Amino acid sequence: MRRIVITGMGAISACGMGAEPLWQAMRDGRSAIAPLVSPDPAAQLRMKVAAQLRDFDPTAHFDSARLGLLDRTGQMCLVAAREAVAQAGIDFGRDGLAARTATVIGTGVGGEIARDEQGRKVHGEGSSRVHPLSIVRMMPNAPASHLSIEFGVTGPAFGVVSACASSNHAVIQAAAMLRSGLVDAALVGGTESCFSLPGLRAWEAMRVVADDTCRPFCKQRRGMVLAEGAGVFVLETLEHARARGATILAELAGFGMSADAGDIVAPSADGAAQAIRAALDDAGLAPEQVGYINAHGTATPANDPTETRAIRQVFGAHAERLAVSSTKGVHGHALGAAGALELIAAIGALREDILPPTANFLDADPACDLDYVPNTARAQRVDAVLSNSFAFGGLNAVLALRRCED
Amino acid sequence: MNASVQEQVFKIIAEHGKVDVDQVTPESTLKDLNIASLEAIEIIFDIEEHFDINMPDRDPDFDADSAKGLVDAVEEALAAKQDGAADAGAKA
Repeated sequence: MRRIVITGMGAISACGMGAEPLWQAMRDGRSAIAPLVSPDPAAQLRMKVAAQLRDFDPTAHFDSARLGLLDRTGQMCLVAAREAVAQAGIDFGRDGLAARTATVIGTGVGGEIARDEQGRKVHGEGSSRVHPLSIVRMMPNAPASHLSIEFGVTGPAFGVVSACASSNHAVIQAAAMLRSGLVDAALVGGTESCFSLPGLRAWEAMRVVADDTCRPFCKQRRGMVLAEGAGVFVLETLEHARARGATILAELAGFGMSADAGDIVAPSADGAAQAIRAALDDAGLAPEQVGYINAHGTATPANDPTETRAIRQVFGAHAERLAVSSTKGVHGHALGAAGALELIAAIGALREDILPPTANFLDADPACDLDYVPNTARAQRVDAVLSNSFAFGGLNAVLALRRCED
Repeated sequence: MNASVQEQVFKIIAEHGKVDVDQVTPESTLKDLNIASLEAIEIIFDIEEHFDINMPDRDPDFDADSAKGLVDAVEEALAAKQDGAADAGAKA
């Protein structure tokens, strides 16, 4: 079987520009959650806090002609991708690699800000004209398309949509193509920004959003905190990476996916456990070999105990020795980009032998009874890690990563 | 005479739970009535639309508390709305 490795990563998040500031914040348990910067300061919102980009100036990255084509999701995704490609040092122009490189980018809702701007013109101002580039800004495949254009990669390219599991599903689609021999390299990841007024109102109406901060797995948790951001990775076959002498960050050892086929929003321990088990089987990992799980850990009343039960179901007695943390207390819940931001935590744990903590943790909840690495990072060598993503709609996608030394 | 707040709230709960309105008592919880959490947030939404109020996020705990708790929260929100009626500039 063709093995798959990660050779480049890039990110943009509330923690700053780049994968490194994000990893540092996750490692330090330093929360980037702050008072919400509202899209409409006159509107009274129940949502009080969020994890939004603070120092992102699109005009520093794109000229005006290019900017006109891009929703915020496309902008963020391109910036993250440039970082990932630069780190990988990969030249798509060599030896026909461009045609053998896939681009798969996940997003939960696509170009929400672009859609909202035009919606406001139509409904709010009664305008009969909307911007002619509205469609190309808001289509959910736009980020994948812009990456293919930016880097001139001509292999299979498309968007992937599975709400909060979009990033992990995107990584898996590309990984399956790499394994099958369809491609030799891939640009993968996720991007999301849905801080429009209707978007915020819709999240408020679901009553799953915390008004204080995000406190995964602890007794005082009050829900998720909405975030924006993007993460992009360069995947290659091990053979391809070795042939060009690339620095390997980690091996993508396996993956698992499942559908709860039950409730549209209430999570299922069985569905999550099925995806976790599938990832272990696919990677050829025994449960005992896994040392750390970057949990989905949204801090909603429903997710955290359900995910805890799923982990216990799969790992049995080893669950007692397993470190599990959610980094969402640091970077918030970036929905379709969540898995991409959290993959940086999984890679960081493997590379630096440091397990990032669950930030903002107060008191233990009896329904959440695993080792969540509360508040302080732990120096611990682990050889294999999992990254969980579970979505509304009952869609689950789990990645298994392994240290790559040979 | 207008229906009481309690009668109106119970009617909304009964419609969503597909139960007879007589089955809803002040002590019933949404769980007793077999109402799932997604339906619970729809009930809150309908109550907000019906009374033109905004309900707090987690007080009461709509999944676990009784129908009486919901009625109390609606009455509180209605009182707050009356107090705030002079503040005509406020947006919902």
